[in-house]
Amino acid sequence: MSNAISERVANFLKEYEPFNYLSFDDLIKIANTIRVINLEKHKSLFQINDKLHDSFYVVASGVIHLTVISDAEETLLNKCYAGDIFGLRPFFAKNNYQMTAKAREESIVYAIPIATFKPFVAQNTEVLNFLLESFAANTKNNFDNQSHASLSDNVGYTDNQSDMLYFQSLTYNKTPLKISSTTPIKDAALLATENMIDSVLITDQGLPVGIVTDKDFRSKVATGRFPLSNAIDKIMASPVITVTENISVAEAQLVMLKHGVTHLCVTQDGTDKSEVKGIISEHDLVVAQANNPGVLLKEIKRSQTAKELKLVRDKLTDIIQSSLNKNIPLTHINSIAGEITLAIVKRAVEQSILDLGSPPARFAWLSIGSQGRKEQLLLTDQDSILVFEDVSAEKYRDVKDYFLKLAKKATATLEKVGFAFCPQGHMASNMLWCKSLTDWTKQYNSWMNTPGENSNEISSVFFDYEMAFGEQKIEDAITETIFKNAKNNVLFFDYLGNDAIKKPTPLNFFKKFNLEEEGENKGKFDIKTRALMPLVDGARMLTMSNGIKGINSTYLRYKQLAIVDPKFSEVYLNCADAYLVLSKFRAVEGLKNDSSGQYINLDELNKVDREKLKNALNPMRDLEELIKDRFQLTQFS
Amino acid sequence: MLDWLKNINKEYPEFWKTYLSKFDKKSNRYVVLSTETTGLNPKKDVILSFGAVGVVNDNILIGDVFEVVIPQYKFLHDNGLSNDFLLESSQPKLSEIQAIEMFINFIGNATLVGHRIHFDIEMINEVLEKSSCGRLKNEALDIEIMYKKLHDINDKNFSLDELSHLFKIAKTERISTTDDAYTIALLFLKLKSRLGLK
Repeated sequence: MSNAISERVANFLKEYEPFNYLSFDDLIKIANTIRVINLEKHKSLFQINDKLHDSFYVVASGVIHLTVISDAEETLLNKCYAGDIFGLRPFFAKNNYQMTAKAREESIVYAIPIATFKPFVAQNTEVLNFLLESFAANTKNNFDNQSHASLSDNVGYTDNQSDMLYFQSLTYNKTPLKISSTTPIKDAALLATENMIDSVLITDQGLPVGIVTDKDFRSKVATGRFPLSNAIDKIMASPVITVTENISVAEAQLVMLKHGVTHLCVTQDGTDKSEVKGIISEHDLVVAQANNPGVLLKEIKRSQTAKELKLVRDKLTDIIQSSLNKNIPLTHINSIAGEITLAIVKRAVEQSILDLGSPPARFAWLSIGSQGRKEQLLLTDQDSILVFEDVSAEKYRDVKDYFLKLAKKATATLEKVGFAFCPQGHMASNMLWCKSLTDWTKQYNSWMNTPGENSNEISSVFFDYEMAFGEQKIEDAITETIFKNAKNNVLFFDYLGNDAIKKPTPLNFFKKFNLEEEGENKGKFDIKTRALMPLVDGARMLTMSNGIKGINSTYLRYKQLAIVDPKFSEVYLNCADAYLVLSKFRAVEGLKNDSSGQYINLDELNKVDREKLKNALNPMRDLEELIKDRFQLTQFS
Repeated sequence: MLDWLKNINKEYPEFWKTYLSKFDKKSNRYVVLSTETTGLNPKKDVILSFGAVGVVNDNILIGDVFEVVIPQYKFLHDNGLSNDFLLESSQPKLSEIQAIEMFINFIGNATLVGHRIHFDIEMINEVLEKSSCGRLKNEALDIEIMYKKLHDINDKNFSLDELSHLFKIAKTERISTTDDAYTIALLFLKLKSRLGLK
């Protein structure tokens, strides 16, 4: 019997693997047996060594973390989001749970009884395969992983891939082509071609006896040494090099080098006397190492859809996470992430141009704000402006129309990638921020010469920009305008200075953290407004007043200031270091919670980290004094 | 004044006796309930539909759902209203008498949960009186009161929409009493764990 709730749940499930393999009627049947469970934040659903439940789970909303304890430390295996399944152990094993499932935020999960689901697994091989894969690899739901569909059973990426880059286990083809030794060469070649696989295993009662790869076809058959009608065992390489399951990338590479082969056969116990489990090719090794920035940049250039870009951005998150874990200097991470983010923005604009046809005038797409400073590690919101060259008055409308359309498309693509729309509307798709060079020049002139007069407040994000796409000359012209206006502009710096130092202070009179007093982030520390923003703002106005061009990142700005203005070099250097420490805190917090990391939960920090954070706030006082002193803030205070 | 004397020897319908006998034991089941009515006056208005879902051990049981639409032909006709919207509904339709009997069988001795539940109970009691039964004996919990208690607010009321917004529960496009009941059930679980109710 169907009811409104079971229909609702069935509608939800049908979007996700493996439920999309089932008919709607079946889903209704399943939904009718589902129990809905609400998990408070930090509440665990099951723990290591708990008795198996009689059901497995689907996340309906929220985030569930799966963790294991190794070396007395809790290690995150996987984050499960809406639509992901977990707790599959009861399907395949009888012993107790081997991991802990804990709600990272308040979550709702559906419990599906094993008893009702089992018949569907038995009837439907796709469902079974998916469950097996998910269970074995502990992978994410590969729902929007496009590579999944393409090749046999090659599961996409395991989560902790970049984490343990080399020591991760490999994902490889688990259903190799197996033929008997009497098969004619021609048939084997046809079979391999049909399946788009570059190797064929020759087996005898499930045990591997030989292997034939593309190379063998080339060197032994195409050269005419063996006729097509010969049996395959004439050209096979034997014995086969075998390895165990769970081999790491590093090991596999070593074995291949040692034996000078390109394919390894995976067997149950690693000898050729046990059953074949799969085959590892050199290509699998390459794929396994694909998470490096260079490859990502290439992938961005090749991408055709927002979905593909999103995959790249997801991998970037993995890289950032592992780099942070490995204590790679934040400046490096920032610049890598900055380049990749910029490339994504660029590609998003390119994709839109491909869609709309070539632009009617030259233009520049500038990323502004944190993207412009190349300091965006987390998926925060997107800010951008579009400047197009001056056109004749009668063409103006059409041109602006085109660029607005272009910007709408590009920002929508970026939104799909994961960069939320800017809540203040600081985006090129906003008609205020998509205009001609003359209009922009006027805009900057009015912002800088009569600050505070116009109702549209200047937002400092407009003074950090980096060109993502378009004409270099246009960006230069904007820079020119800004620096021309900045020269000896007391009023403007007065305004900026007041803006920078009126941010709420991070520490109170007793050197305790000022925490949020109300709202949903009550009791947390707002690291963005109270600590990072003043540093960013300070760096920006000081570089502008010193006429330093072309340096956008806050860290480098302070470094440069220390050189240009040696009298206060100590303050600047302290600020540079403080900035790095603070942004690392934010990045770690953001990655942990999949948030923008703006609010830090101090209770989760240990004492050392808390002190570290506090110390990083010290240079701000000096900076504030310096700004007050330098610009003699009076007009607006 | 002496009404109860009149009723003292009155024979209740069979289902009501069964219902009463269920209260010998205490229940660990909650039934989350939502009704749709023609208005806010229990004496004049009538119930148009019921949606209810069971909650046991902090689990919402999706198979344990009661939904029914009562096409109140007489009431709607008397008041010159159209009943098309009721007939279009895909939910099962029953007469008021049948519906209330099935509803009573469904809830048994469970604790009732709802949003402004006392109004729902009042409406149901009116129907029960028409069917010559007694009044509902179930305990009842109101999620609005639970929320106010949690935050110690007395001077403000919260609609169901406001509450689901506060707890970030996604809205559905389809609005039936069953959908509402499900939303209330989610809110109930969240509030229950926050208040530490056992």
